This record gives sequence, structure tokens and C-alpha cells, in this order.
Amino acid sequence: MFEKSLTDLIQGLRANKRNESEYIQTSLQEIQAEVQMSDMHIKSTAIDKLNYLHMLGYDMNWANFNIIEVMASSRFSEKRSGYLAATQSFHQETDVLMLTTNLVRKDLASSNVMEVSVALDGLAQIVTPEQATDLFDDVMAVLGHSRPYIRKKALACLYKLVLRYPEGLHAFVPRLKDTLDDPDPSVVSSAVSVICELARTNPRNYLPLAPKLYHLLNSSTNNWMLIKIVKLFASLTPIEPRLAKKLHGPLSQLVCNTSAMSLLYECIHTAVVGDIISVPIPVQDNTGRDVDFAELCASKLEMFYESHDHNLCYVGLVTLAQLQARRPDLVVNQYNSLVRCLDHPDLSIRMRAIEVASGMATRKTLTKMVKRLMSQLILSNTIVLQPSSTIGSQISNTDDYSDDYSPGNGHALPKFDSSGASLTSAQGSIVSPRSAAKGNIADPADSPEYRTAVVNAILDMCSRQSYANMTSFEWYVATLVDLVYVSGVDVGREIGEKLLDVTVRVRQVREFSVKMVRRLLSDSTLVSHIIPDSANAKVLTTAAYILGEYCTLVPTSVDDVQILLPASLGRLDGDQQATFVQAAMKVYTNWLQDVSGYWSSDIWELVRSVTSSVMTRLSELVLDSSTSAEDRDTPNVEALVAAMPLQASSRVRQFIEITKAVSMATSNMSDSAPPICSELHSLFTVYELNPVSAAAQGKVPVPEGLDLDTPIGDPIPDTSRIVMPPSPPLQSSQTRRRSSHSEKTTSKPQRDRKNDPYYLGGRGHSEKDELSSRRDQDLADLPDVDDIPVVALDLGGAQKMQDQAAKTSKGKKKKSKSGKKHHRKTRERSPSPPPISVDIVGDEDMPDAADGPAATDPLKAGSAQQQQQQQQQQA
Amino acid sequence: MIKSVLIFNQLGKPRLVKFYEPLSTAAQQALIRTIHALVSKRPDFLCNFLSTQHHSVSANHHAPDHTHSYTLDPDTRIIYRHYATLYFVFLVDSSESELGILDLIQVFVEALDRVFENVCELDLIFHFDEIHYVLAEIVEAGLVVETNLKDISSAVAEAKRLVKPVQESSRLGIGALRRGFT
Repeated sequence: MFEKSLTDLIQGLRANKRNESEYIQTSLQEIQAEVQMSDMHIKSTAIDKLNYLHMLGYDMNWANFNIIEVMASSRFSEKRSGYLAATQSFHQETDVLMLTTNLVRKDLASSNVMEVSVALDGLAQIVTPEQATDLFDDVMAVLGHSRPYIRKKALACLYKLVLRYPEGLHAFVPRLKDTLDDPDPSVVSSAVSVICELARTNPRNYLPLAPKLYHLLNSSTNNWMLIKIVKLFASLTPIEPRLAKKLHGPLSQLVCNTSAMSLLYECIHTAVVGDIISVPIPVQDNTGRDVDFAELCASKLEMFYESHDHNLCYVGLVTLAQLQARRPDLVVNQYNSLVRCLDHPDLSIRMRAIEVASGMATRKTLTKMVKRLMSQLILSNTIVLQPSSTIGSQISNTDDYSDDYSPGNGHALPKFDSSGASLTSAQGSIVSPRSAAKGNIADPADSPEYRTAVVNAILDMCSRQSYANMTSFEWYVATLVDLVYVSGVDVGREIGEKLLDVTVRVRQVREFSVKMVRRLLSDSTLVSHIIPDSANAKVLTTAAYILGEYCTLVPTSVDDVQILLPASLGRLDGDQQATFVQAAMKVYTNWLQDVSGYWSSDIWELVRSVTSSVMTRLSELVLDSSTSAEDRDTPNVEALVAAMPLQASSRVRQFIEITKAVSMATSNMSDSAPPICSELHSLFTVYELNPVSAAAQGKVPVPEGLDLDTPIGDPIPDTSRIVMPPSPPLQSSQTRRRSSHSEKTTSKPQRDRKNDPYYLGGRGHSEKDELSSRRDQDLADLPDVDDIPVVALDLGGAQKMQDQAAKTSKGKKKKSKSGKKHHRKTRERSPSPPPISVDIVGDEDMPDAADGPAATDPLKAGSAQQQQQQQQQQA
Repeated sequence: MIKSVLIFNQLGKPRLVKFYEPLSTAAQQALIRTIHALVSKRPDFLCNFLSTQHHSVSANHHAPDHTHSYTLDPDTRIIYRHYATLYFVFLVDSSESELGILDLIQVFVEALDRVFENVCELDLIFHFDEIHYVLAEIVEAGLVVETNLKDISSAVAEAKRLVKPVQESSRLGIGALRRGFT
């Protein structure tokens, strides 16, 4: 029988490319027969072939016993094949492994150097805890071998052994220390490698070796080993600070003199991360001048990140970020180099550069850098440019943007296809002329990861240290609005937070902010495409809040009510709907207050028509958000309101009540505006909302006797005939929540409606007109319109809702501000003195320190605070 | 420490598979496929380091059997060099110097070049075991034991001298046959 040699097998594989797996199956069958043969040569050839097939992904565990037979061969070549197969195939659970212990012991004691070497290699790979215990002494004996070749291999093998047999460390470490004095440099290098690995888990134990390593650092010329030692010292310096001063000398010498870039880099890296650069000893550079070590490192580092070698550029940026954390002054003037890295075709390099970039902006360079980053976002292929018809003059040419984009000119918004703002939906429409020109490599600016990093870097560098670098807040707000269009990734939450932050903290920019968010909300392409989880929905929700909260700052417009109740609102989730409706309520009441100043019959008619259109919009919203067909068929608006998400339904309900009250108060033309028109808005402006520190809640002491578990008041009786609730709606939120929960479990039961204080009862009111006439009738029974407990509803409810809306959005904001400009007590609302030119409001905080774990959860803190306020109001 | 040394060609055909940590055959193959997919699409003007944090590298993509699922440590980095038709890939942890490993790959290739004289992919295909033996002189158990080219090639040569007599006869291809007759 002619057996295939390994070469035959490989040639056969190459000849049978078409039916490769078939050929391999036949070969495996042959191998199965061959490994059973008594001829060791055939057996070892079979194992070699099997090992080759293993590389291609075929299992060889079944031949483990035969592998051991080959390992036991007396011929070196066969033994070596056996050991090689064992290292590839065996793992910790291999059952035949115990059979190898004596075999390895015999080979370790062999007089043939190569056999010892093969045994060491093999043992290091396959060793189990039992073998480590059994063979530890044998390998320790080999460590005294006359050939350095064996000594260096034994060291590496012993490292694996002590991993499995930690007790061996006591005997091993002293020997390891001795081998650092070995006359052979390879053995010393191997010992250093082992020490580095051992020191990773427990650096403190290897501090005593520092003097020897220090000596090697000064004397050795083996670059690989020097790199290892330098890296080891980087992990030793933090636990022994005195080392920094010692290392200053040798490291600065290496930095000055070495020609190996890898060693130079590791020296700089260790000098930076080990804070050796701050040792105040000057260094003589090549020209004999005394220079600061930190400056020397910074200038040498320039060679890396300015290099054309992408690898050097990458590692250079990694260390530059470290250097920036310690000596920002040395990095700040590297603007031009960094910009080059930001345009690098390699995504990894850009990601590293952007890390450094966000930290290096100054008042001078901020605008320039943001502009630069913005143009990267715009010029990529992800966004499809499309002039919009909703706003007049827009920039539709991207190249214009990067050249003509002027800070502060926020009115010239670049407009993009709003579908481009979502990567997934834009994929179908990506035009890629640029990528075609560059080859088939994706532009890194298209990577969502990079775009997110760019947006975050822009936000970070602008808002850093309470807007320390900001020169024009109008420009900043305009930039944020631009980002909504160009980001192309899901950063809506971040942009929204920053938009809210700057609007709340910087009074001077509020008016401009309101104008800009109004523009956002008026953009029909943007608004009509919103879906709950999209980035746009999050930004628009924040925009809605800002428009509602600060609507008094701009001339009132009845259109604002319409844009806050867009047709697509029903698609948003409950919280977002609630924010929109709440904002619409504020804008609507503000408008009412405004027009009641110049009351006339025209105004009266306008109020009538606006109020009725708002009611129409609200009922449409209610219909939109009810999903099931059964609900749609139910012609009862109240029932549908109850079916809305809890957060939204209470707001919608309140708004409906307000519109009803207004429509009733204006049912007849009067000479002056009804009081309700001019007074409603003041309900929303009782307190000004200030930013609250996330930790503030923790400092509020829990009032004595606070009991949140006992229900407030008696259970609500069957109130199908009671029109208005006796208490503010949120106070009964627990009951409401429970009832809304049961709504889900049962199928819209009637009894829920009966318990619902808002439920008007009776016979299904189909149309809103019928509903309102019905309401009018009910209200006619009550003595005075102004006595209607609308006051109770709004004072408690609206204020709390305002609070809540502010909490939900603000609570997620920056947890703390290190550069806090003002520390103000609660309820103190006097404006603070401006720091430079603008007044940036810091977080409000509680004066008394108390430990507050609640602060970690801003939402929880918000609701707790709400209860707190409630208590205070009651008291 | 070095976790793995891989050589594969542009099509992803493995030419050397060495894992210093035990890993099932299926997981090894899946990992090679994943790394090949990552590395082969990078043109030469990109840097030769990949951090596994930025690129999801896990071996369970193609191994539906969960016993083979294996995800690399977050601190693992892929460092590779591209020579002609071949990719030389080292998987290392953060204790290794990136630039140092790039130099080491160069040492490995030069060592192969000395052993095979103008090494090419065919040499690696037909002497897959020989590459393992060369690598073993440089890296043992994930630790670098030698970086000196002269020492590496002399050790390989010494082992070769021990092998030669037997290989001469087997090269004839009918060594077993002859032994069978005698």
C-alpha cells in the first residue's frame, strides 16, 4: 500500500479544488487507518497530515492517543511532529494528557538538546495543573542547563507552569532574579519577559527587582528587552513614586539617543504615563542645551503624529492624549498637526485625533475647529443635500458651507433631506461620487462611530468648563441647530441636552434660542418624519419644551400652537407627547394673555376660532394615538383620552379642560377680555425654573412624619356626575396608575370609567361639539365660572408638570459642574453677577450637606423632589 | 503576552494557526474568518493596529454551537503586516508594545526568509510544520524568547541536521514500501 506523504496530500488538495471536501474526507479515512498501523513512520506522517487538515478546520481530537504514540517515538523528527500535533490539539480537558507526564519527564532529561527544547515547547502549551505540580522540579532542574538556548526556553515554560501551580512561585522567583545576571543576553531577555508577565497581576511583588532592571536599562542594547523593561517601569512607577526620579536619567538618555522608533515611543509613553516628565531636572539635548524633559518629549512626539507612517501617527496620538491630560499647555499649539490627523483616511487615527481635539480648543480656536468638524460632517456622502422649500434662503452647496459659513449667522441654515438624518433610512439614497474617486474605501466621515465622536467632540469643546471657550452664544445655538440636520447619527438626546442647557443657563441667548427652535419645529420635513426613537424626536421634544417655557420672550404667534400640535405628534411616545402638549398649553395661554390686552370683536372671533381649532387638533391627537380599531369605533373622546399613555393623557385632559373653559367664557362677545384669558398663563410662570444640581435632592432632609404610603384622602367615590376633581390630578397619580394598569389587563372595563373623575358618564359623546355642549350644560349648574376648581387643577398640576417636564429633561443633564459659577440657595432667584460678559447660571444646590444616594438617579430625584414640594405647599 | 499568531492569504486561507490559549477548532476558524474580514478590507495606507473595542471581534459569528463561542478580551489588539499575498497577524494584550510587535513580525518574516531563501506562499504551504518550528524559536508559550536572527536560524538549522537522515529516505516516497520488503 502506498501511503500519501504530507506533500502528496497538499498537492492533492491543490489539484482537487473543485471537490475539496470530498478529497479531504477520503484522506481522513486513510489517515484513520494509517494511525492504527504499527509502523511509526506511517503513523507520524498520518499525524502530520491530520495536523495540516486541522489548520483548515478539521478536528483531530479523535487521534489524541495516536499523537502520544508519535510523541514517544525515538526518532527526533517523529517526536517533534507528535509534540507539534499535541500543542495544536490538546487542551486542558484532554483525557489522555496524564499519559504524557512521564514521557515529557524523560524528554526533559534527554541528552539531546533539541529533544529537551521540543519537550519544553510542548509542555508550555499543554500543561495542566497536575502536570505543573509533577514536572515543576524537572523544569527547574533544566533551568541550570549548560546551553543558554535551553535556559531561555525553560524560563518561558516555567512561567506557564507557575500559572497552573502558583506554589512554585516561591522557588521560581529567586531563580528568576538570578537569571537576570545570566551571561547570555537572550536568557536575560527571556527572564525580563517572564517578569513583565508576572508583574502584570501583582506589580508590588516585583518591586525588589527594580534595581537590577534599572541596571539593565542603563547597560543593555537589546531593544526588545529595553521596551519590555520600560513598559514594566510604567506599571511600577505608580506604586513606587520615588522611581520617577531614578528613571528620569536613563529614560531621557534613551529619548535623546535611541534610533529605534519603537523604543523611543515606549520611553516617551512611559515618561508621560509614569509622570516622569514632571521631575524638575533639565535634560541636555543633542545640541547640549538644557531643556525641560516634558518639552523634549512633546517635541519628539511630534515626529510620530506628524509622520507619514500611519502606525507612528496612530501611537503618537495615543500618547498625545495622555500628554494632554497632564500638560495641556504643551498640546494646545498643535492645532495644525491635529487637523491633518483629523483628515486622515484611517478611521482609527481620526478617532484618536478627535479625542485630543475636543480637549485642545481655546477661545481663539474654538470657532475654527468646530467649523472644521462641521464641514467634515457635511461633506461626507451620508447626507443627501436637498434644498428645502420650507425656509427661504438656504445653502444648498456644501462647498459653500465650509468657505462661507460664518459664525453667528444662524439664520442661514443648511437644509438637508431629513431622511438623511437617519443612517438607516438614508442608505438607499447614498450618492457616492467621492468614494468612487477614492477607490472602494468608505470615507471615515461616513462611519456612524466617527460621526458620533465628532458631534460629541463639538458639544464637549463648546460647553467645556461652563462655556469657558465660548465667544458667541448665538453662534453656538445656531451650530446646535445645524447639527440636528447634519449629524446623521442618533445624537438627538445629546444635542437636545446641550440646547436646553445653554438656553436655561444663559439668559442672553434665550430669545435667540426660542427663535431657532421655532424654526426647527416649523420645518415640516423634519417634523412630519418623526418617530419615537429617532434622534430628531428627542431634539424636537426639547425644542418644544424651550418654545413653551420661554414663549414670553418672543412676540406671540398663534402659529406656535399649531406647530406644537403637529399631525405627527400621535406617533411619539407618551413623555414626548406630554412635553409637546404641555408646551402648546403654555404657548396658547400666553397668546390668550397677549390678545386680551387689545380686546375687540375681531380678537374675540379669533380666540373663538383658535380655541376651537385647538380642540379639533387635540381630539385628532387622541384619535391618532389610539391604536386598536375597537377604540377608534368608540365615539367617546374621554374613553380614548384615558387610553392614551398616562403622561400624555393627563396633559391632554387638562388642555381640553382649558379650551372648554375658554370657549365657554368667550361664548358671548364682551367688551373686555374675560379674566380667564388674561390670567391663565400666569399659572405657568409662578416660579422661574432654574437648573438644579443632580446631587441637590440628596441634600434635602426628609421632613418628619412624611408618609408616602398612606393614600391621601378617601378613595374616590363613583363620581360620574362630578365634573371637576376635588384635588389636583397628580395627587391621585397612584390611583391613576393603578387604574391605567388594570386597563391593560382587562379589556377597557366600564368600571374604570366610572372611577375616573374625568369621565363625563352616560351615553357616548361622539363629536367634540356634542361633548362641549354637554359640558356647557353641566357647567351651567355651577354657580360661577371663576369658582370652577380650575385653579386647583392648574396651580398644583401645572406647576408640577412644569417641574416634571423640567426634571425629565434637565435631570439628565450634566451631573455636576466643576467650574460652578454661582452657588445659590433654593428659592433665591436674584440674578447672579455676570462672570465676564454673559451670565451663566450654575446648578442650584441645597445648602446643607447630607448624603444622598438618590442623586444617582435624576429621574427618581425629580419625582422625590416633587413630592417634597408638594409637602411644602401643603405645609 | 502574545495570544495568537496567524498567517493567512488574501482569500483567508490559513497558512499558520497558532493559539497560545486553548481554543476549539471551530472557534479558531471563526476567529480567523472574522479577523480576515477586518484586515483584508484595510488598504495599505491605514495603520496596522486594530483594537477589538472599536471592532467587534468575536468567534461565535459563524459557530451556532454555543460551546464554541469565544470573545476576545477587550484589551486584545490585532497587529498585522501585509506581505505580498500574505497577512501576518499577531493577537496581543496590552502588555506588548505595538511598534515592538511590528518589528517582531519583521523578524519572523526575515527568519523565514533565511530558512527558505526568498520565502513565498508556496514555501509556507508545503512546509507548514517548518513554520511552526521557526515560530517556536521566537515565541514560546506567548512569550518572546529570541529576537536575534542569527540565534533563531542557527537553532532551526541545528534541529534540521537531526531530521535530515530520516527525511532523505522518506523523500523517496517509497520508504515505507522498502521497509515493508525487508
